[in-house]
Amino acid sequence: MLQHFDPNKDYGTPASLSEKLVTLEIDGVEISVPEGTSVMRAAALADINIPKLCATDNLESFGSCRICAVQIEGRRGTPASCTTPAEAGMKVTTQNEKLAKLRRNIMELYISDHPLDCLTCPANGDCELQDMAGAVGLREVRYGFDGENHLDAPKDTSNPYFTFDASKCIVCSRCVRACSEVQGTFALTIDGRGFDSKVAAGQDEDFLDSECVSCGACVQACPTATLMENSVIEMGQPEHSVVTTCAYCGVGCSFKADMKGDQVVRMTPYKGGEANHGHSCVKGRFAFGYATHKDRIRAPMIRDSIDQPWKEVSWEEAIGFAARRLKEIQAEHGRESIGGITSSRCTNEETYLVQKLIRAGFGNNNTDTCARVCHSPTGYGLKQTLGESAGTQTFDSVMQSDCVLVIGANPTDAHPVFGSLMRRRLREGASLIVADPRHIDLLDTPHLNDSMHLPLRPGTNVALVNALAHVVVTEGLEDKEFIAKRCEGDAYSKWRDFISDERHSPEHMEAVTGVAAADIRQAARTYATAGNAAIYYGLGVTEHSQGSTMVMGIANLALATGNIGREGVGVNPLRGQNNVQGSCDMGSFPHELPGYQHVADPVARGRFEAVWGVEIDHEPGLRIPNMFDAAIAGQFRAMYVQGEDIAQSDPNTQHVEQALRALDCLIVQDIFLNETAKFAHVLLPGSTFLEKNGTFTNAERRINRVRKVMPPIAGKEDWEVTVELSNALGYPMDYSHPSEIMDEIASLTPSFKNVSYEKLEQEGSLQWPCNDEHPVGSPIMHVENFPIGDGKAHFAITEFVATTERSSRRYPLLLTTGRILSQYNVGAQTRRTDNQAWHDEDILEVHPYDAEERGIKDGDWLGISSRAGHTVLRALVSERMQPGVVYTTFHHPHSGANVITTDNSDWATNCPEYKVTAVQVEKVTQPSEWQKNFHDNHERQQSFLKEAAAAAAEAQ
Amino acid sequence: MSQSEMDRLVQMINQIAINNISAGDENAVAEMIAGHVQKFWSRRMKQMLGEYVEQGGEELHPAAKLAAQKLSAQAA
Repeated sequence: MLQHFDPNKDYGTPASLSEKLVTLEIDGVEISVPEGTSVMRAAALADINIPKLCATDNLESFGSCRICAVQIEGRRGTPASCTTPAEAGMKVTTQNEKLAKLRRNIMELYISDHPLDCLTCPANGDCELQDMAGAVGLREVRYGFDGENHLDAPKDTSNPYFTFDASKCIVCSRCVRACSEVQGTFALTIDGRGFDSKVAAGQDEDFLDSECVSCGACVQACPTATLMENSVIEMGQPEHSVVTTCAYCGVGCSFKADMKGDQVVRMTPYKGGEANHGHSCVKGRFAFGYATHKDRIRAPMIRDSIDQPWKEVSWEEAIGFAARRLKEIQAEHGRESIGGITSSRCTNEETYLVQKLIRAGFGNNNTDTCARVCHSPTGYGLKQTLGESAGTQTFDSVMQSDCVLVIGANPTDAHPVFGSLMRRRLREGASLIVADPRHIDLLDTPHLNDSMHLPLRPGTNVALVNALAHVVVTEGLEDKEFIAKRCEGDAYSKWRDFISDERHSPEHMEAVTGVAAADIRQAARTYATAGNAAIYYGLGVTEHSQGSTMVMGIANLALATGNIGREGVGVNPLRGQNNVQGSCDMGSFPHELPGYQHVADPVARGRFEAVWGVEIDHEPGLRIPNMFDAAIAGQFRAMYVQGEDIAQSDPNTQHVEQALRALDCLIVQDIFLNETAKFAHVLLPGSTFLEKNGTFTNAERRINRVRKVMPPIAGKEDWEVTVELSNALGYPMDYSHPSEIMDEIASLTPSFKNVSYEKLEQEGSLQWPCNDEHPVGSPIMHVENFPIGDGKAHFAITEFVATTERSSRRYPLLLTTGRILSQYNVGAQTRRTDNQAWHDEDILEVHPYDAEERGIKDGDWLGISSRAGHTVLRALVSERMQPGVVYTTFHHPHSGANVITTDNSDWATNCPEYKVTAVQVEKVTQPSEWQKNFHDNHERQQSFLKEAAAAAAEAQ
Repeated sequence: MSQSEMDRLVQMINQIAINNISAGDENAVAEMIAGHVQKFWSRRMKQMLGEYVEQGGEELHPAAKLAAQKLSAQAA
């Protein structure tokens, strides 16, 4: 990979971003470095490695261990090279007898209070203390080992993923500083003084009970075995590493899969990863055990009816069975009676192949993806206004922001690594505005400067964004030059007239949003006058009946203030799953071919027809909710679902289950028997991200390589299964490696024209558009023009229309849903890891006012009813929401959170309105009927699986 | 054609109408709706809408009804 530094080397202190160079001499070697670079880093850049213990290059220099002492001509003493900036003309000596003696003396003191169990220590072979003892030539410890020491300090094994062994701690503070500087949680501290100094979590609690979020930054920073992954303690040091991309969330962190043969020992965040720069969260860092979990589906299975046990069969028989059923159904019910769903968890190449199979093999456009239920309004709204269905920035751009406006997103839980970067910028002084019905953790960022919370009522986003824009326009805060130069004039004039109307004023909207007019005015002024203001938004924007309108309202606000087209600004959708951006890019939607090219466009369609060798239908196909309706109506009969769990994730569960039961053939390709697979007739084993090659595209349009580190557990990568199904259906596909699929994508998708595996190897990653105009990609979009109309952005009219889902006498509360840090989406992966230690059930958060009115206490069982259904969850009384609003997550299938969400959806895209459901809550004593039925069906389907395994074992 | 499926389509197109009511006069709103349906709805959904408006389209918002009529005219 092309790197400006060696990501596998530790340069001791962070890089300086100064453009001014200073030239100095270190051990007689002349070197020029950016001003502000430490002597330690300057030396390391010249391959002169000064011993160090408390220094590491993702933390600011600290100067506590003193082992990096050097001598500088003309200066007294032996300054620490980590805290001494390089200066022009400086002459530095890093090795001489005096320094060697000094370092040996320091090391001798460290080792006098350190267990001498190197041969049985888990860090053996990866211990900086051991390395430095070797580097300084330590041969004896004159003080002996009988004095007062810490050798009996107890271990903290409370965290399921790592052990804190205080007896090995050298109190270098690297863990404390990593928790503060990198993660931004400040959970760790040095307790006590002098010899009594020790690392403490929280208020001297166990790690698990403290505020520690288990991101692993402390473990990564520790130079000894004090903080050590349990997997390394159990398995020993890895023997090789492969750089790959995390399969959790849209941040797309790069990791080194540290391996022993084909076993993953640990996942280490990769410093060369442009999205994460060596940081991680509890999911990506530790929650990979699901890949080898006993629940993995290891053989293909078929059955004629969902009330029958499964039968384990060969791949050939399963594929043949699936193809035969699809052909029979099409012969009887027509070409449009079948379809499929692509996955935001699978690779770009796999997603591309599934939609290709549907369009070319099935002969219709009945393809959709889970982005339908999360970010489809982003695609629509940004395309209408900015011309491209994607966020405009890099993650790093936030470090140039003066104001960060977060709407309907919870970055520290759902996009934790980016949340940490955002917190770093907030600590540096950027203003924070959060528009969310719930008090999110970002508002509790330590050392936050200027912040405000706009706790709007669920369902009133558009009223709020219109009020913000009204203030911008009526108070003369617009960027008139930007608008005149970069925006389409007529649309702007119409929008200006529309938004200036008094009905959009904060005072008028106060009764609708529940947010004080003065606060809205202050927020608008802060955003418009900050300098660089950036908007980050999540599913709290999109999952509404006006999701698309809100996305357009956000774009309007950014355009009106000129906050588009440079570092530090922009409109940034925080994508939920790892490859939501990619699955949308790859033509998963029923109306769009890859690269957002409409199926009705004869030129684009013609290009695909020429390469694919078939005629493509020029009419859009069915969206997921329309597939369900058509299935219940008997018009839609079969579905191929790769890597999605629509039975758990989609709203109005009972309606979804009715639709799935109505299908004549449901083919599910997944790593587990998920909720959807319980309704399936064909179950094809899927492969995890560790078992295949491909690419993911993160929320900043960054295409990253996914590299296979172990063989697929059932023998096939997901793309190979799609190829075989296609061939069995009579539409030939012939690929020997995903790189060939990417070559085909690049040949047909203008924004991917210059993307190839070879180029990805060279550059590390690429942000699309990557074409002749932008040969190595486009970090920031819309710098010069917009890919819409005549290159000018389009203001959209955003009338506020209240949702029909309103509180009433029968359903007086509003339910809104969200995510939690330790679990991921439907939980299929994280529930099969030790992340269960943090969140093993979904709970309902109720405001104390509403709780008191109903006599609810923490831990009570609560029945939650909506017009769609009824479920039961445990209560947590919480002031995070306003009175009248309740909140839950949907990570556990038996919770039935989506039994109560309705089929209300966004007007433009049918993205469900998960964020607003009118409910009643009351104390109950038993599970709901749906939960009882769920339990029974779960037991039955699990027994079908066991019977299949037993029969297969007997046959062998 | 199932009643619930048709109900959903009526709800969808009426929602499109209400959310674009500020696009201009009824004709302009209808043009917008027709364009949206043409671009995003499946062949069968459009056919169902056509049949519904032919039978009177009673539950349709006026602008949605006009849009459905425009789409039917285009298809003819």
